[in-house]
Amino acid sequence: MAIFVNILQDALFSAIAAIGFAAISRPPRKAFLYCALIAAAGHSLRYTLMLGCIGVHIIPATLIAAFLIGVLAVAVSPISRIPAETYLFPSLLPMIPGIYAYKTFAGLALCIFSDSQQEFLRNFYILGYNGFTCCSILLSMVVGAVVPIFLFKKISFQATR
Amino acid sequence: MASGATCIRLEKNVSRIAAAYGMTVEMTVMPRHIHLAATREGEEITTYVATVRNQVIDYTVNTRLSRLSWAIADGKTDFREAEKQLKAIVAPRKGNPLMELLLVALANASFCRLFGGDGMAMAIVGLATLAGYYLKQIMLRRKIDCRLVFLACSFVSTVIAASDTLFGIGSTPDIAIGSSVLYLVPGIPFLNSFSDFLYRRYLSAFVRFSDALVLTCCLSTGLCAGMLLMHIGMF
Repeated sequence: MAIFVNILQDALFSAIAAIGFAAISRPPRKAFLYCALIAAAGHSLRYTLMLGCIGVHIIPATLIAAFLIGVLAVAVSPISRIPAETYLFPSLLPMIPGIYAYKTFAGLALCIFSDSQQEFLRNFYILGYNGFTCCSILLSMVVGAVVPIFLFKKISFQATR
Repeated sequence: MASGATCIRLEKNVSRIAAAYGMTVEMTVMPRHIHLAATREGEEITTYVATVRNQVIDYTVNTRLSRLSWAIADGKTDFREAEKQLKAIVAPRKGNPLMELLLVALANASFCRLFGGDGMAMAIVGLATLAGYYLKQIMLRRKIDCRLVFLACSFVSTVIAASDTLFGIGSTPDIAIGSSVLYLVPGIPFLNSFSDFLYRRYLSAFVRFSDALVLTCCLSTGLCAGMLLMHIGMF
């Protein structure tokens, strides 16, 4: 039961995040609702996949969730007559590996300021591990989300007709 | 282009409009300009070079332009009417700054929660975002270089978020700092860059990527400067 509450909570917060970040790119007003729904679906799917009992690694989980977001965005765009790209970014944003990116930078700074070889190696590990994870997550996010637009070209570009 | 459209959308919309008037169009997208060469069968080629405007990303413009292109293609709008509509669409319009500010702050706070931050971290991130984004709005209104804006905003947000560590009020201070600057991440340029890359418009993909990379570097510099100022041990 607690798992369901957690999943719902995850969906709720990613929906709020999506609405807020959608505001930056000034979409048509109608788009906000869809952004929230798509983001909630995507992020909670990733959360579910990464739960202990399923245990998918964060990178493939992100790829799958991003693909779902892409497909949903393309599917919704003809209904709302708004280009699919409008939905992509705000919905993807909750998945951005902010903490990994932050730790990468922290690792870089620690590397520069370390005194001994041992300390440097430990910090270099922090830099490398977080950096690679961050980049892989970003890449799988972008690939997963953009590919559906190209797969369903016909729908994506006739949406505003 | 400036309002955040990808190359594939740009080309499709332009050739759609051209086809409606029985013309073919060749298009070259350069970093700051777009070359258009239009021709009708058996007639001379007309070339037009347009400068890409410097403006904020605006998906409403994007959506309306795309709709207009279909209206022209389907013969629902004549040339004069279309021209009038075009002017109206691209005219600069004011968003709702206050609403934007509040939504972004709220969003970044819930973002912090998604990373596992506690209530205190959420509140501080919300506050940091509120201050940083407000600063961004003010600075952009005064037409200050956007690289400087990113640097200053991430610095301010970091310093405010560092109060979590400083006063030891929350249990997840590093998450607060890490997510306090995320509202500045130039995500749309990155996404568009990748979309152009897949469409094999490497030049435009590279340009967008470089733009986004420069902004990300500014943002990181601001973050590091803020952390140094507040003497935050990394871990």
